[in-house]
Amino acid sequence: MTNRRDFLKLGAIAASAGLLGSRARADARLQSAGVHAGPLLHGGKDFSPITYEERKAVPSACYQCVTRCPMVGYVENGRLEKISPQMNSIRTEGTLCAKAQAGVNHVYDPDRILYPMRRVGKRGEGKWKRVRWDEALDEIAERLKKLRDAGTPEKFMFHYGRMKSSTSKMVKSVFLATYGTGTIGDHTSICEGSKWVAQELSWGGHYDNWDFDNTQFILNFGSNVFEAHTNHTPVAHRLARALVERNLRMITFDVRLSNTAAKSSEWIPVKPGTDIAVILAMCNVIVNEDLMPVEGREFLRFCRVTRDVGATTEEKIAALKAHLAEYTPEWAEGISGVPAEKIVAIARELASKHPAAIISYRGPITHAFGVEAERALQMLAAITGNIDNPGGRLKAVGPKWKYPKGPKDKPKSGVLEVTKGFEGQVAFPNHHVSNQIFDVIREGSFGRPEVYMWYKYQPVYSNGDCKANEEILKDESILPFTVAVTPFYDESAALADLILPEATYLERWDWEDMVSPNQVPEYYIRQPIVPPMGETRDFGDVVCDLAERMGMPLGFKTKEEFVRLSCEMTPEVKAAGGFEYMKTHGVYHNPQTKPVYYSYLREIPESDYKAEDVIYDVREQLYWNWKKSKARSREEALEKGYMHTKNAYKGYVGQRIGDKVYRGFVPDKVNKTGYMEIYSELMEEKGFKPMPSYYPIPEHQELGKDDLILTTFKVNVQSHSRTQNCKWLTEIYHANPAWINPETAAARGIANGDLIKVKSEKGEITTKARVTPAVVPGVVAISNHCGHWKYGRYASGSAAPEEFRLNEKDPDLDRIWWSDDRGAHPNWLIPNKPDPIGGEQRWNDTVVKVEKVAAA
Amino acid sequence: MKDSNSKPDISRRAFLGGGAAVTGAGAAAALGGGVANSAVEGGAKKHYVMVIDARRCYGVQACTVACKAEYKVPLGENRSWVEEIEKGNYPNVTRSFLPRLCNHCDEPPCVPVCPTGATFKRDEDGIVVIDKDVCIGCKSCIQACPYDQRFLNEDTHTADKCDFCIHRVSQGLQPACVEACPSRARIFGDLNDPDSEVSRLIATNKVSVLRPGYGTEPNVYYIGADHTGENDHYAEFSYVDVKTNRRFAERR
Repeated sequence: MTNRRDFLKLGAIAASAGLLGSRARADARLQSAGVHAGPLLHGGKDFSPITYEERKAVPSACYQCVTRCPMVGYVENGRLEKISPQMNSIRTEGTLCAKAQAGVNHVYDPDRILYPMRRVGKRGEGKWKRVRWDEALDEIAERLKKLRDAGTPEKFMFHYGRMKSSTSKMVKSVFLATYGTGTIGDHTSICEGSKWVAQELSWGGHYDNWDFDNTQFILNFGSNVFEAHTNHTPVAHRLARALVERNLRMITFDVRLSNTAAKSSEWIPVKPGTDIAVILAMCNVIVNEDLMPVEGREFLRFCRVTRDVGATTEEKIAALKAHLAEYTPEWAEGISGVPAEKIVAIARELASKHPAAIISYRGPITHAFGVEAERALQMLAAITGNIDNPGGRLKAVGPKWKYPKGPKDKPKSGVLEVTKGFEGQVAFPNHHVSNQIFDVIREGSFGRPEVYMWYKYQPVYSNGDCKANEEILKDESILPFTVAVTPFYDESAALADLILPEATYLERWDWEDMVSPNQVPEYYIRQPIVPPMGETRDFGDVVCDLAERMGMPLGFKTKEEFVRLSCEMTPEVKAAGGFEYMKTHGVYHNPQTKPVYYSYLREIPESDYKAEDVIYDVREQLYWNWKKSKARSREEALEKGYMHTKNAYKGYVGQRIGDKVYRGFVPDKVNKTGYMEIYSELMEEKGFKPMPSYYPIPEHQELGKDDLILTTFKVNVQSHSRTQNCKWLTEIYHANPAWINPETAAARGIANGDLIKVKSEKGEITTKARVTPAVVPGVVAISNHCGHWKYGRYASGSAAPEEFRLNEKDPDLDRIWWSDDRGAHPNWLIPNKPDPIGGEQRWNDTVVKVEKVAAA
Repeated sequence: MKDSNSKPDISRRAFLGGGAAVTGAGAAAALGGGVANSAVEGGAKKHYVMVIDARRCYGVQACTVACKAEYKVPLGENRSWVEEIEKGNYPNVTRSFLPRLCNHCDEPPCVPVCPTGATFKRDEDGIVVIDKDVCIGCKSCIQACPYDQRFLNEDTHTADKCDFCIHRVSQGLQPACVEACPSRARIFGDLNDPDSEVSRLIATNKVSVLRPGYGTEPNVYYIGADHTGENDHYAEFSYVDVKTNRRFAERR
């Protein structure tokens, strides 16, 4: 049927085809689009596909994940239309991922909330009234003042999920410190806390960079770097380049065929949590077959392998041999399912290829004793000489911003000890035990916060045991007053008493500091690409406002001012042109800076280690400044020694090795020596073996016939919990069927596409089966991201309350085609249990049963 | 979709490329051709092609979302997407990625069926475009495309598909998907220029196109792509799973 519009068009066509002697109605822009003569630019500009007009570029930074890539937002008629790569970034080299580009969806999410909301019904009932910011902040300020005046500021608990760089400094180091609460929770232990603890026990300050540009071989234990990683695109695109252009071999051990495993030369399936057995056996092969490359042998000089820090290299090798003797390839095969000859072959290959990047992530870590897998990996990298060398596993390098510290006189903060797990539960809660926070608060013996505020965090959805999380957050007798700071009405915000609507990351300020894959620091900023919508505010501005209301001005009034001051205070940035330069260019790196390798080899001048208050610890053979520790006197420091003085690591100066004093592997959070510690006296003191060792996962030792092990994982187009409102991402990935090996499925009569029930001690979920050989038998693998029950219509079908949301006309709302399957969230099944060493949530240890519900 | 080692004969292609517009679209051909002559800067015709190096692709879907963002493509439709092919028997399983977009064929089946001349192949650069102001949304071209690349855009009520980002390319920028690809798996350029990267890649690699037997003469070339289809499991593998990662689960 021809409608009026079509009829008009027919006229236009007749005209354009010359029948009426005119082509005026054809698309003039398309018809006259020329052919560009020169080479085509890869980026740096953007044009409207409708008008062909150039758009305004605003350099800024992504925040879809912690990688925080520099990027450029393009604006047309005041609207953010496109996010494109920042071509001048040395981290990304002009690349971005899918998530980054879908950031546009956050700004125009019809379910984002624009006004402060105060609960009027029962908690979680969904009844709200709109309040003015003044009212909301007065109420919070009044409650906080009351706590402070009563001498209990620690009863204000602040809990963040993602808070980095300038926001972290403003909120944590300035605002909360000036107020006086140290009851601050983070989320690291539901991320990769045990990986960091293992690094702190071995090479000091955490974070490992992988030098794919210069490596000759890649050995990967459970990192899905091609889909999800804390420095994803900056390292992933370099890895792709290395694999194709230099034809490198990469071997990946994983429970399932991740896209990373799929792009590797070999995928070697391994049973959950047993990577450590393979790693130890590889160490065994390398030392027993005397395959240690010369680089490894030389590096042993900087390793502590025995209790005696002064041991010779031969003594160290003997100690390694003795420790590793029991960890034979045959032993590892029995535990991991990886054939012994495979382990031997790969160990030999690793020893013969130098340099090699030995990498890891959550695969081996998110288990009981996950710390040991990462420590074992550090040992493997150390004995093959692949630590902090070009092409190896590197101490990461990021920019060092200077920033205003706020009022000089800050009170001594009070703390409710709710962030480190129960007494004796975790040996090294260096990065907290956030998975236990709700349980500890409920139990109550460390006190309970009277005001619980969370920021960019989803305690209900992101932790294990969602049911318990909901119960606790709903219970006013446990948490009497709660505040959510968020741009979105998610599962946790829905249970708050007060919601403060934050601006999205595309509407706010930050200076940024994520590490560089090429070992040269890059300074970059985030700036509003478009102004904050509705009444949403940058939380940095909000804490300044709150501080004023409590009579404790911070010395700056907005995040923009904080960022501007930081730009002027940071010498390299100031020299480049300061704030104005950063606003125009977005990124800056000093072209004179050379990549940083071998940082441990820097010699410490005598003037430093002979300085006032620096003392020598005879036993550890290191220099440290006792005044920076908690020691009350020089005598006390000398008597207790470095190891046993609280916070002694803060005064670490250098390690004496032979006749020189080296910077070494600088300790952080614990009093380790300046050696790379393969032998950890700290572990020994906590009752564990000092050398990286295998501890069986208790629940997996007595599996019943029907038992399976649940593994969770991440995919490339979603972050764990915060991107599902992005329609362009959720259109691609919205359902997460459970991966089951054909053999495992057949034993349960399950066929591809069948509806199945997965049950654990904590609950059950119903989902579909994806029967695939891309996962090891005995496992059920369910991705994160799906099964939201709030977070807007794109994520879950559940809208934010109408009078508070954006309510933009969005025809795509009527085109959601995945309503019949939004997947299931595995966290309902997983108990909140920490690794007893590092506190990491044991995401991948849960034992489940799977049964068929209905045929496909 | 079987693999074929199909290298273009550049001289023949240049000739056909020009001719397709003339023979393909009848009255409207004059429109395409006529405007084109005046639009070519310096008189040099281009033969735009895309080379997709599947060895580089790690399936991250940056191109898919870049394209969605560029055109605000309605949910349920795509101008570009990435498929996944998983196959083998445990533990010898592989997964590979196949980015898809309009092939900008030298013999585009969509062009002759268009009753209004809205769809035509540009003489000056070989891009197959749709003039939305001329399209009546009759869907003939959607039926005609053997690659499932065309759809009726619910917002514009016209046929829609990839146009190699003509608003960018004509103004000196790479297509949005090329800019977005973090591993540089998509390479776009001029096959008439023997020194271009696409010419070099095609000359020095085994390349393939989709559905080579259809006589469409595609201008999207693949290096190292796995063209296994869902039905190949009978012949070669006991397990093959093709995921289109879009609304239409079945691949065309």
